[in-house]
Amino acid sequence: MLKIENLHATVDGKEILKGISLAIAPGEIHAIMGPNGSGKSTLSYVLAGRPGYEVTAGSATFDGKDLLALEPHERAAAGIFLGFQYPVEIPGVSNVQFLRTALNAQRRARGQLDLSAGDFLRLSREQADKLGLSMDMMKRHVNVGFSGGEKKRNEMVQMGIIDPRLAILDETDSGLDIDALRVVGDGINRIMRKPDKAVLLITHYQRLLDIVRPDFVHVLAGGRIVRSGGPELAHELEREGYAEIAA
Amino acid sequence: MLLDLPSARNEGWRWSNLSALPDIAARAPVGTVPAELPWLDGYGDGPRLLFVDGKLVAEQSNPGAIDIGPVEAEPRDHALARLVGPEGWRLRMGRDHAPQGLVQIIHVSTGGADHLPAEVVLDVDAQAEILETYIGNGWTNRLSSFRLAKGARLMLSRRLLGDGGFVSLTDRAEVGEGASFVSATLAAGGADTRLDGDIRLTGKAAYAEAAAALLARGSQRHDANLAIRHWQPNGSSRQVWRSVADDMATCSVAARVDVARDAQKTDGEQSLKGIMLSRTATINAKPELEIFADDVKCAHGATVGELDKAALFYLESRGVPPEEARGLLTRAFVADALERIGDEEVRKAFYADVESWFTTSSLVPSEVEGRP
Repeated sequence: MLKIENLHATVDGKEILKGISLAIAPGEIHAIMGPNGSGKSTLSYVLAGRPGYEVTAGSATFDGKDLLALEPHERAAAGIFLGFQYPVEIPGVSNVQFLRTALNAQRRARGQLDLSAGDFLRLSREQADKLGLSMDMMKRHVNVGFSGGEKKRNEMVQMGIIDPRLAILDETDSGLDIDALRVVGDGINRIMRKPDKAVLLITHYQRLLDIVRPDFVHVLAGGRIVRSGGPELAHELEREGYAEIAA
Repeated sequence: MLLDLPSARNEGWRWSNLSALPDIAARAPVGTVPAELPWLDGYGDGPRLLFVDGKLVAEQSNPGAIDIGPVEAEPRDHALARLVGPEGWRLRMGRDHAPQGLVQIIHVSTGGADHLPAEVVLDVDAQAEILETYIGNGWTNRLSSFRLAKGARLMLSRRLLGDGGFVSLTDRAEVGEGASFVSATLAAGGADTRLDGDIRLTGKAAYAEAAAALLARGSQRHDANLAIRHWQPNGSSRQVWRSVADDMATCSVAARVDVARDAQKTDGEQSLKGIMLSRTATINAKPELEIFADDVKCAHGATVGELDKAALFYLESRGVPPEEARGLLTRAFVADALERIGDEEVRKAFYADVESWFTTSSLVPSEVEGRP
């Protein structure tokens, strides 16, 4: 599904990613762990196409197509969802309006008809309910006045509504208390744990991986994947720290 | 007529470009009434006035309580307002008058220049709601005088939708004790504008609000100059200015709050924000505060920038195409100035005007068009 080969990327002229290779097949959940500054967020932004993140070498394909040649909204329409570490506040635009615009733009790009207002509201109520967000919150401006935990839950509501094929989740667990972590983790499993879908989960902590069990764990350090393994690697990291593993 | 116009060397006119006015004024008006006029439905046979080139079209008007005739309007020494003649329209509401509902006035300019004064006088506790819509392509020049007695309330909404030409509006308002003067203006057409306002809170605990959304593209210029003057204690005022400039367009706002020595406990708020949709656009924002009282609360803020890049990427990463994302953010920005329009139908009309401005806009990232 996603194939990254020898990916190099710079931000402000500084090389952050120094040759990353990674293949993700449908049905798989991959976790990327690593110390601060190792390039985890940069990898997620490069895959989503954020301006200012320049790929200098290597490739990334999605379903065999050159991902890096697509605009951010085209990547979304192709089925990629980026869960933000710091979801952005957008005053003046309601969640409902934003999501309906986004979903229908994706549908149009795929040659599908717009979802009717009624169907859309039903879908968003269903998804919001499952993440414990009220429709009142959905009618509020995007992330404005939301707590850290509410923002992350809102990301998962959006993921549920958009229903992507590949979710890249950048520290979706950061800033969550134990109960919220459970809600969010269950959300990821419910929405994405399917044979035709895949997840790239960027996290610092084992706790989320106890809920969303990864098939593969990679350690990113200094812009490279320095180790890959099964779920047991995450436990090893938790015990011994990055310094030991990345050395 | 020889036009004696102020030059940009005059501080109050530094961002103005009136150089096109003599040419526009020299053009002969066509005089035809457009087949379709932007009346708002749903107000029954409420009062309405249609002016074409400054002249009332009686057969398409229903003046209600409005007189046409000599009016007293100030200031006659204003560079543009002094051009208006003695005759105009006048709305006087006595304290026992039932509210008229929405008064709709359409000003059509078919070319040339027309100058018209207006006078709105609201007696104790009287209320009025006025919607003025400006269309056409000549120079429409207006002087409007508003006098609100104790407890009176006026909601004044203005849509400037002309295809081209120039619209200049000069307002003078006196707001009495506990009275409320609220205005909302939207410039979403192709005309250049000059908006002058001098709002005086002459009674205790008076309230004034001025909100405006100025949208400009091409080489268009909007130029606004407003002062709200607190003369008495316990008054409050609020100004919300939202400017959007694309291409080579310029939006300039000089907004002032004066607080006199006796005007203790004044609460004044000013928010001036501008967004440049292209790197070649210009936004000027000049918030001014002059306070002589010592126990007042005055907040002011001015920001000029581009659309928030993080927000744009957030929208795009969810699948919203760039032009749509820019439109969504810009509409949200403009809505700040229009959300306080009390009448829902009027508010909807304003939002629809904004919408149609966007559908004809070149909301394309400047990189794509190869602009600097």
